[in-house]
Order: sequence, then C-alpha cells, then structure tokens
Amino acid sequence: MTTPSSALRSYRPGDWLAVLGEHAAVLLPPSEKARVADLWALVDDGAGFDVVLDALISGGLRELPGFVLVATDAGTTRIVVRGPARATATTPDGGDVVVDGREAATWAERALTGVRSLRLDVGDDEPAGVDDALTIRGGLVRVGSVSQPPEQPAEPDPAPTPLPEPEPVPVPEPEPEPEPEPELDPDPDPEPEPAPYDDAPTEAISAVPPVPEPWPGTPAPVDPLDHDTPLPVEPDPAPEEPHDLDHDGDTLAGRSSEEPEESRGPALTSRPVARLVFSHGDDVSVDRPVLVGRSPEARRFTSAEQPRLVSVPSPQQEISSTHLEIRPGSGADHGSAVVTDLGSTNGSVLVQPGLPPEDLTPGVAVQLIPGAVLDLGDGVTIQVVNPG
Amino acid sequence: MSHMKQVELHHGARTDVGLVREVNEDAFLAAPPVFVVADGMGGHDGGDVASRIVVEEFQRLADAGYDPAHGGDQAAATLAECQRRISDYGAERVASGRARAHAGTTVVAALLVDDGGPQWLLVNLGDSRVYRFSAQRLEQVSVDHSVVQELVDAGTITSEDAAHHPERHVITRALGGPEPAQPDYFLLPLASAERLLLCSDGISGMIRDDEIAAVLATADDPRDAADELVERALAAGGRDNATAVVIDVVGWADAADYDSDRQRLSLEQKLGALP
Repeated sequence: MTTPSSALRSYRPGDWLAVLGEHAAVLLPPSEKARVADLWALVDDGAGFDVVLDALISGGLRELPGFVLVATDAGTTRIVVRGPARATATTPDGGDVVVDGREAATWAERALTGVRSLRLDVGDDEPAGVDDALTIRGGLVRVGSVSQPPEQPAEPDPAPTPLPEPEPVPVPEPEPEPEPEPELDPDPDPEPEPAPYDDAPTEAISAVPPVPEPWPGTPAPVDPLDHDTPLPVEPDPAPEEPHDLDHDGDTLAGRSSEEPEESRGPALTSRPVARLVFSHGDDVSVDRPVLVGRSPEARRFTSAEQPRLVSVPSPQQEISSTHLEIRPGSGADHGSAVVTDLGSTNGSVLVQPGLPPEDLTPGVAVQLIPGAVLDLGDGVTIQVVNPG
Repeated sequence: MSHMKQVELHHGARTDVGLVREVNEDAFLAAPPVFVVADGMGGHDGGDVASRIVVEEFQRLADAGYDPAHGGDQAAATLAECQRRISDYGAERVASGRARAHAGTTVVAALLVDDGGPQWLLVNLGDSRVYRFSAQRLEQVSVDHSVVQELVDAGTITSEDAAHHPERHVITRALGGPEPAQPDYFLLPLASAERLLLCSDGISGMIRDDEIAAVLATADDPRDAADELVERALAAGGRDNATAVVIDVVGWADAADYDSDRQRLSLEQKLGALP
C-alpha cells in the first residue's frame, strides 16, 4: 500500500472529472466532459503515459485549458499538470515535490522514482476539507482532490471501519448524460459564423493575444463584394500606392466559414471494437474507419482519423467503388462498430444474429453485433467478430 | 513493404514566375514518393519564404527515411513543423516592422503510403489543386479552401461564375497563419490514379479544366505534360506564378487486377508479411 502504482486511491468530491485506472489517472476540468468517455476507454484498458498524453493533446494543447496526468511504470511516476491544478508527491527521502500547472505556460512535468504518496488538488477553490475522503479503485468520479494511497481516516482506528464502498464504478458507458453531439468536439464554437471578411482566419477561440495585423490580403471591410480589382497581397497603409500590378492571381486569405465544423474531434479509440473477416481473406481490425469497396477512396478526412481502405473483388461490378464504411461508434454506439452504406448502387444486406436480413439505408449508421454478417453482393461477405 | 518496391513513379515538374510578377512565391518538391506544390503569399521575403519552408520540411522528410507505413502521421508532423516555422517567421517579421502581415502558403502534397497496399495520400490546404487523370478523365480531387468554393457549395454561384468572381483568390485556409488550419486528407487507390497533377492557381486559374485534360491526355511523358501546362498558362497571360508537378504511376495500375492482387496477397502471406 505504499506504492502509488496500486490503483487504490481516495478522493474528495469536487467539480473536476477524474478518470482513474490501474496505471494512469487523468483529471480534467468540468468543461472537458466530452473527452471523458474516450479517455476512460483508454485508461481502463491500462493505457500508459504516452498513449494517454497523445490522446489528451491530439486536438492541440490550446483546446485543453487544464489537466492532470499521472502514470506510474516500473517505479517511475510521471506527472504532467496544466492549468489550475497541483500535484504534491512525497519522495523516498520524505520530502515533498510540488508540480503546479499555474506556474507553467504550457504545462509542468516531473518524473520521480519511488514516490511514496501523491496528492492531486484541482480547481481554483481550496480543497474541500470538510467532506470525508472516499476510496476508489478505478472509475470515473467528480473530484476536488485525489490521494494515493488513500488518506487514512482522521482518527487512527486499529480496526479501520470499512469505508463505505465507493459509489459503484461507472462502467462501460460512463458518460452520465448522453451528449447530443456524438463526435468529440474539442472546439465548440457557439458563435454564428462571421462573414469571411470580418476577421482574420482564426480569431475565434483564441486565448492568445490577437495578432495586431490582419492576415495577408484580408480585404478592406469597405464594400468587399464590389471589388473590380483583386485585392492586394498586403494591405498597404499608403493609399496612393497603386494596387493594380500585383493583384491578379494573388493568393489571398480570408476567414473560413466552414472550418470549425470541419475540425472534428480526434478519434481516440486505441483498441479495436471489432474485427472484420472478409470472404476473400482479409482480416481487418476496426480501430478507425474502414472503407470497403471495389476500389475505395477516402475524401476530406482529418489526420486524426486516417481511414483504412479495403478493396474487395467484384468481377460482376456489383459492388460500388466505395461501398460502405465500418467505424468505431461514438456516443450511444461507443465500444461497438457501426456500418454505413455510402450510397452504393446495389445496396448492402445486414444479417444480425437472431434477426431477419435488413437492407441498409444509405447514410444511416447501424450498430453491429458480433456475429453479424454483411453482404455486399458479388459473393463478398464480411463477418463481424469480437476483436482478437 | 515488399510491394512498395513494385511501384514505379515517373514525374515531371516545372515552375515559372509568370509574365507579371517579380517574385516566384511558388515552390515545388519532387522527391519520390513525396511530391509537393506550395503557393506562398505575403509578398517578397514572405510568401516565397513560406513556400520554401514547406519544400524544405518535406525534403527533410524524404531524406530522413520517409516510411510509407506511417505516411499519414509523418505528413501531419511535417505540416505541423511547417506551420510552426512559418508562423514564427511571420510573427517575427511583423514584430520587427518588416511587414504588416503574416506570411503564409497553400500546400498540396501527394505521398505514397502503404496501408495494406500502396495508395496515394493527398493533402490540401488552400487553393492549390490535386487533379487525377485516369481513363482519359480529369477530376479535381482536392476541394479549394476558398471563398468562391464556399459560394459554389452554398449554391450561390456556379462553378463557371467562380472562375471570374472577384474574390476568386481569397482563400479560407492556409499554412502558417497565426493559428493552425485543418488540412484535408484524401486516400486514393493507385489503380484509379494513373496520373496526378499538383498545381498552383497560376495553372488552374489561367487555363480551363478541359485544356488541362487535353494536355494530360496528349503528353505521354510527365515532363512534357508539366512543361506544356506551364507554357499554356504563360500563353494565357501568365498573370500569376505557375507551377505544375505531374506524376505517373508506372507498372502498378495495369497489374492491379484481381489475379495479381491475389498473387501478391498470397506471396505476402507466405513471406509472413500479413497475419
């Protein structure tokens, strides 16, 4: 019980979200609730420091106002703290090492060996000392502080009264309220889209001081739609400067009205949710989108979710070039694979165990149960089995 | 990765400052299997530097042992480094008073990747373009990040209007701005992309798509095709820097039918390359 690598911890209630696993613990501010379900999947699977950190920052550090990540491996405890949070570790010599996110511009990080105890205090408020500490072995809870090993009860009791079993660990679907938006979106932008000319390309959501100068070529706000001549590369303060030589063909930049909805959240799935056994021999894990067809293509995806293309033979050309997609589900389908027919010419038939065959409706995602079989035509079938 | 060796690429590339501009802010890289076109903006010591940084970083990737099995991750990391360098450069330039605006650049890139078989990974930020020419048909694969493209998507104007729209050069995403923009990625099977064209808007803005198609259909050698595209852009007025990179997949497209695919799979299974 002296080594923090044991997963038994205690916590005091608060408003941060703690994802507590065997090897790693992640604490996030209340605003980051949408990230928690996927992080839970990683942490509960025993993911280590690097994997969890990658997942945390895959959407960019700017999107993440604060977090604590602690992971212990082979006696070394790595601690990363960003924002209003503090970790206090007791080292083998009895001294305390404090890692405080408020003192760092990006984050504060320490790697310590032989840590004897560790306390995490999160949020801006003083840790609530009034509540009793509750013990927890793993799970997802709202916390103001976390201690490992668990805090001892105040009165030294030789036969410690068994602490009430902590609230049952919220298991596979830890998300308390289903989010309406199934895709993780680290960058919710509630503002209505400004017109392309209203501002520099990326002015929204910035915690950084705004850049004083407009993006090159940001057109003058005056009557932009009436320009007969194209716009200057650099807005020139000298109005007498003629603007007619360098314009045509200039590449200029304005404001995207589509960007925020394009920047979808990263696909955080680290483990496959299903395995696909193809009749022609391929065997593919569903740990990212899988596009299946005669000659499948993927268009306009982000680097976070690079799809896998699987070509299947179709001598009769019954199968469309990009026929259907199978991907890890999100939201209510989290943890399962979902299939979507991508508007194939001849359609797809799904047979789920114990159910009659079903024609897939193009564009509508259907959750796949292990044992399901998809028929694409031309004798090509895909069997859905549990991940290996 | 044995089958990556079967893929042979031929390419041709050409850039020209054009007839009007004084500085060529375009840059390209042809370092098989990595190809890039970048169209910089921000004027002298701005756009040309930005597009050169992109070429430098992708050259570094090609030299440092590009791994097609991790092409997507490596491309994303390279773009992130480009973004960092260009935005640092731009910020420094503004801070020192040498410029009033940030530098930036478009980028289109094509990288051969291997994910259960060789494929083209394409990347786009801005209004440079990737076309594919296959079975005598030209298709624009990338989707411009531009104001006119958004108007076309919204149904406000037609694509014919777009070519003459006054804001046709205003782009909505670029590499190197004060904050990173999200690139679009595409994956194409090699067999459906016998010939790729990467170009700046000094090509696609000067000559029509049907003329581009005619050049790609008649010039067998990709070097001739790239030359011809630039020549025609100059002949049409050369109002912008013009850059074309043409890439042919040789010896794969014809071999990628069902039987050879089966042979390849079975050979790889024997060699233990597949589970």
